[in-house]
Amino acid sequence: MMPITLQDWRAWQPDHPAGGDPRLSTNPRPKGDSVPAMLRRRLNVVGRAVCDMLAELDPEGRSILLHASRHGDAERTLEMLYALADGDDLSPARFGMSVHNAILGVHSIANGNRRSLQALAATGDEVAALFSEARGYLADGESDIVAVFSDVAVPSRFAEYLDDPVETAAVALRLSTTGGTPIVASRFDVPDGVRSPQPGDMIAWLLTGGPLLCPARRIAWELAPCPSSAGHDACMHNGLR
Amino acid sequence: MTHALELELKQMIIDTLELEDVTPEDIDPDAPLFVEGLGLDSIDALELGLALQKHYGIKLDAESDDTRQHFASLNHLAALVEARRVK
Repeated sequence: MMPITLQDWRAWQPDHPAGGDPRLSTNPRPKGDSVPAMLRRRLNVVGRAVCDMLAELDPEGRSILLHASRHGDAERTLEMLYALADGDDLSPARFGMSVHNAILGVHSIANGNRRSLQALAATGDEVAALFSEARGYLADGESDIVAVFSDVAVPSRFAEYLDDPVETAAVALRLSTTGGTPIVASRFDVPDGVRSPQPGDMIAWLLTGGPLLCPARRIAWELAPCPSSAGHDACMHNGLR
Repeated sequence: MTHALELELKQMIIDTLELEDVTPEDIDPDAPLFVEGLGLDSIDALELGLALQKHYGIKLDAESDDTRQHFASLNHLAALVEARRVK
């Protein structure tokens, strides 16, 4: 099975203690200065963070980009539904930015990326879905792709319908089949009470090591540094299933 | 156009279109609002049409050539508001 490797990453988690890994931003107000002001004004906080991470991982705008978010821009979407219920007109700009691919769209306009851009939601299975989609593009011959996973705390009126509170964070990975750290998947009997992985869980995995658990698919992912060439081959052989 | 209306329209544009770092003084009443000048885009045009309806009760026909004229500059917009406002 073709392996997947992690070449580089960036992350944003405003409630994480500051001063750690330089690849992790804890700035509560990300600048979004990779995007011109007239485009940036429509981005919310997580949109600014994601665009800045993408500008670092895909500076020339040549990579295929994936963006997974379980809830998307729930705040804008719910605001519009309440406005409709009240008989108010919808804001065209807010409608445009509430769609799931809005952040990638703004980034692609700003840095001229004309490759495939894919937005997905997978009811808690976002990590597995991202790796699956990435494998598809890499199997098609792409040398690398950039996969983003982001979510923000959902509005309180919606939060009560969720099993787990949603934590605000975003993470972007540059994935390939060569170079970097192999990502190894294994079957895992997930104990009860393990929640679906959120972006913050993926950040913890990147910072401190695995495993990253996906209860719905009973998969555990681990980053498997391979110091020797023999070990490297073994890692490749056991690559992501 | 009165100074008060000019300022009111500038503030409406800044607030409605969430223009970061733009102050009323930055908007030249004679300069184009769209593409050139202030640099607004087609979504802004829709948003501005909605704001005119909400603030002044003015309904515009999106397909009409007149609408293009009304949106040419802040002065044109002010003339429209003075002529057609119902609130």
